[in-house]
Amino acid sequence: MDKELARPLDTDKRDYRTLMVVGAFILLIPLWAKFIPGDVLHMDIVNLMVLTGVYACAVVGLNLLVGYAGQISLGHAAFFGIGAYTTAILCTHMHWFPTWLGVIAGAVLAGAVGWLVGKPVLRLKGNYLAMATLGLGEIAFILFQQVKGLTGGTVGILDIPPLSIFGLKFDTDLKFFFLIWVVILVLLLVSINLIKSRVGRGLRALHSSEVAADAMGVATGRYKAQVFVLSAAFAGLGGAMFAHFQKYINPESFTLALSILFITMVVVGGMGNIWGGLVGVVILTFLPSVIQALPQWIPGLPHGLSNFSNYELVLYGALLILFMMFMPKGVAFGLSRAADYTEVRARHFRDRQKARKMEGR
Amino acid sequence: MSEPRILEIKDVTKRFGGLAALKDVSFSVGKGEIKAMIGPNGAGKTTMFDVLTGILKPTAGEVFLAGESVIGKRPDQITKMGMIRTFQTIRLFEGMTALENVMVGCHSRTGAGFIACACRLPSGRREEAMIREEAMAVLKDVGLHTRANEIGTNLPYGQQRLLELARALASKPGIILLDEPAAGLNQYETGELSSLLSGFRDRGLTILVVEHDMGLVMEISDEIVVLDYGELIARGTPDEVRNDPKVIEAYLGIEA
Repeated sequence: MDKELARPLDTDKRDYRTLMVVGAFILLIPLWAKFIPGDVLHMDIVNLMVLTGVYACAVVGLNLLVGYAGQISLGHAAFFGIGAYTTAILCTHMHWFPTWLGVIAGAVLAGAVGWLVGKPVLRLKGNYLAMATLGLGEIAFILFQQVKGLTGGTVGILDIPPLSIFGLKFDTDLKFFFLIWVVILVLLLVSINLIKSRVGRGLRALHSSEVAADAMGVATGRYKAQVFVLSAAFAGLGGAMFAHFQKYINPESFTLALSILFITMVVVGGMGNIWGGLVGVVILTFLPSVIQALPQWIPGLPHGLSNFSNYELVLYGALLILFMMFMPKGVAFGLSRAADYTEVRARHFRDRQKARKMEGR
Repeated sequence: MSEPRILEIKDVTKRFGGLAALKDVSFSVGKGEIKAMIGPNGAGKTTMFDVLTGILKPTAGEVFLAGESVIGKRPDQITKMGMIRTFQTIRLFEGMTALENVMVGCHSRTGAGFIACACRLPSGRREEAMIREEAMAVLKDVGLHTRANEIGTNLPYGQQRLLELARALASKPGIILLDEPAAGLNQYETGELSSLLSGFRDRGLTILVVEHDMGLVMEISDEIVVLDYGELIARGTPDEVRNDPKVIEAYLGIEA
């Protein structure tokens, strides 16, 4: 009887099931993208999905930090950039340096910087933390520009070798697509594990009330630092992959606009919802291409939309405001509500069937 | 009364600028007793709780929990040492079910860290199963097991109070500090709480409670200490304290 009442909605298994479905769907994208030729959609789906994946690395981690632990960061472009520059510098200054090790080094160094910065900065709360992380992003940007000996200044670093792992070279969009999305699926798995665990509960608890979390024995300071490091390392990993995919980097790729973009992705998708981050990245990475393709889809639209990049910050800002006002839990919240609903309906249906069977006997 | 002392408070003073919220307060709590700390508003009761649980550092004095000093320790460390509290204003975790709230209460005596949780190591999974089971048992103890999967903050007020109690109990504390557990409860609910607390005491729990509901205090307490303007003005059994002129004066003003 008690067991029956305590039976939770099976969200536990649901997330793992969703992961499998989402994984299968995404990994099959190149297949069905073949049947919809690019010149119909006027966009290169596989290429965009690689970019989506690269950003998703950062956003999945940022969602853990912002959505679950409730700590803001407006400087995650810094970690993305640190990851990118680390592997780019290692692999171009030392040609023998294995690229896969460069990527790992990028993630580790971003995490290490996250730890150094996070320790003092995370004592701040709310607006103050936002300001501090904003400063971090600016400092990193200026360093990328000014430490010319290492970073190549405003020109940046060119001819970054393609990523290769044990002789397998990821030098085409398609190959890179599979690599990055396998990585994302692993990051998602790790995130789901974490959220469903003791540590995940601790993070959600400190989000709600740090005083109460402390009183329950959650080492809030350590937890905040750890999740900050984790999100920094995820961002660093994304940045490193980005460098090898794009083959050149310069400071302009790691500005405040990118930090804002990351936050917008989290908010639009859904703070504190693991799938939210993913949905947000997909929407916002495809948005510029969709807007640019619009005139081709709908004849008669002005072509002026094609210099969209001039206005992207305006759009992100507007999206942030609108979502905060009208849909603070993001797109994914609606989706998960729908999933809850179907699960409850399904359970009622099963229970009714069981009852009917019992009666039949 | 020769029970071993679990909590010893020695000459604790806490000043905020010129204001002394606590002045040389000393008392101790014996194992398995319910001690009440009462006093008019602003007497320093919550300040004392904050000092005991590491939220505030005392200006002077010592606090020993089972012989070990807690001064200078972080709140989460003190919780780990076996002293846990509830709050005067309910502080349940938003968005968490009743069960999850109580599961957080198990935090201090479990240890799965970031890596173990992220990789879903067997040790972490075993611990998780144990936490779930024990949290459910605690919910049953306070009679909330039927609401385990409801969002904690959606429960009726009285049940939220009980849930806070359950969350603290889940840490299996040596001593639990209750900050006005009956605030906002109706008479019936207070009665329930009273028998619940006496029951826990009989099972070996030590309780230090701050409460304004004198009916509850007199009913459950083994001993009462009275604070007024940060000073300990009286202590004794409920009957002794009830008839102490100093206490009457503190509560009712100076009698002509």
